[in-house]
Amino acid sequence: MGAAKPAEEEDKVDKARRGFLKGLGLGGAAAASPAWGGQTFGDAWADFFQKHYQQMTREEIQETLERIERKAEQRYGVAIDCQDTPPQEGVVFGYAINISRCKGYRDCVTGCVRENNLGRDSQVQYIRVLQMDRGDSNLENSEHYYDPAEVPVEGKYYLPVQCMQCDDPPCVKACPVEATWMEPDGIVVVDYDWCIGCRYCMTACPYWARHFNWTDPEIPAEEMNPDTHYLGNRPRPRGVVEKCHFCIQRTRKGRQPACQEACPTGARIFGNLLDPDSEIRYVLANKQVFRLKEDLGTEPKFWYYSD
Amino acid sequence: MIPHGATARHSRVLQMRRTFIAILVCCVFQTADAQESTTPDAPRFTGYPDAPSFSVVSRMSEMFFYPCGQCHDAIEPNPEIRALNVMHDAEIDHGDGRIWCLSCHHFENRDSMRTLLGEPVDFDESHLVCAGCHASRHRDWAFGVHGKRVDTWQGARIQYNCTHCHNPHAPGIEPRAPAPAPPARAGLELEKVEAHEKTAPWEREESKER
Repeated sequence: MGAAKPAEEEDKVDKARRGFLKGLGLGGAAAASPAWGGQTFGDAWADFFQKHYQQMTREEIQETLERIERKAEQRYGVAIDCQDTPPQEGVVFGYAINISRCKGYRDCVTGCVRENNLGRDSQVQYIRVLQMDRGDSNLENSEHYYDPAEVPVEGKYYLPVQCMQCDDPPCVKACPVEATWMEPDGIVVVDYDWCIGCRYCMTACPYWARHFNWTDPEIPAEEMNPDTHYLGNRPRPRGVVEKCHFCIQRTRKGRQPACQEACPTGARIFGNLLDPDSEIRYVLANKQVFRLKEDLGTEPKFWYYSD
Repeated sequence: MIPHGATARHSRVLQMRRTFIAILVCCVFQTADAQESTTPDAPRFTGYPDAPSFSVVSRMSEMFFYPCGQCHDAIEPNPEIRALNVMHDAEIDHGDGRIWCLSCHHFENRDSMRTLLGEPVDFDESHLVCAGCHASRHRDWAFGVHGKRVDTWQGARIQYNCTHCHNPHAPGIEPRAPAPAPPARAGLELEKVEAHEKTAPWEREESKER
């Protein structure tokens, strides 16, 4: 069965093979795509020799940010502002979710996708809302593709999961090229240009918080968020790992993360763990909190409680 | 013979009951007093001592009929408990019939709310009215843990009022549709993951009965 391929398909395969061989002959992809991937030779050169984020000087970072802005303009047709806001002194971020408030609307997911320029067609979403059976906290029994006409569903409760920003992050230890690390304000970040896409960190993470970009993110130009950060929501390439970064582009400027802003029930509490008057510290001192898989010793800075 | 300890306990119970009745009587008179007018030296709630300072997002401009005095100044106030059917929602889905309009709205000044002590408070301070019954929620709210803080985690605290999210006449939040479910990874199909077989003890009992 199916011994002979249709002539059309045969032709396509043949052309692709020829194109590949031709490209090889002419020295790489230069013949197939516009020169230097649509960039100037200088930008492509600088991209290739770009250093690790932590090893760049101020000037080098500035040049890189400008290059990222030019690339975004060329790729998405939008003028973005890519910044490098440093961490604040005396700030370590923490998060708490009131699971008795969460109703499973998934508004946090929508807010996150828009804020962080996630591909609209890709399966990458930093937040998963798990639907759980009441009387059960086994994550194996959770359902995250739930789609009823109305939520909350009788007999269910909802548990949103995202990067826990562990204080002892196993993903950081797993990275063979040190493309991911914890910043002084406690946020675990990724240098998307240094990531080699090996996905070791994804297997090391016990919370399913890291996601791999299988496709080039498709974002409509009018929905692009132009307020970006190098370690945060700047346009990312295909083939790298990304994850929730507590909206670093907002929170380092004193703003709330997009998921907190999108949540209609006020279930999400974000703040500075080092400030004894912060809301998050009130939760830790006055509510019965728990963390997911605490026994693994990853010290998540992400708590759950109910009241 | 009744042991000494029991007599003592008995008299203590009697005494406690007497004190309780005395307090109850005082309370009844006090509330009756408060209904008339606010006594100036009555203890007034001024916030939780260690709560951070905050401000509340105003909703005054969103209230369609406000100021209520526009009509009510010309209407003789009627304290009789009844269902309203002109200009107002007839149904109050709050408090299971324990409260009606003038439990929260001020009898004389309709541009104000009233606390349990009968103090008039501004509509933007309506959280003080809610606090009368929902004290622990109000405390959480004042510390920024119930409800929602606007825009920043740093600097001045601005919070939404209770009535931003809860309709005071029907405060329960109705279920609604969720945002679309996440897509399955390209090339894969969604499959319902069957949970491991499990029956709760009460389910086993029920099946035995049948």
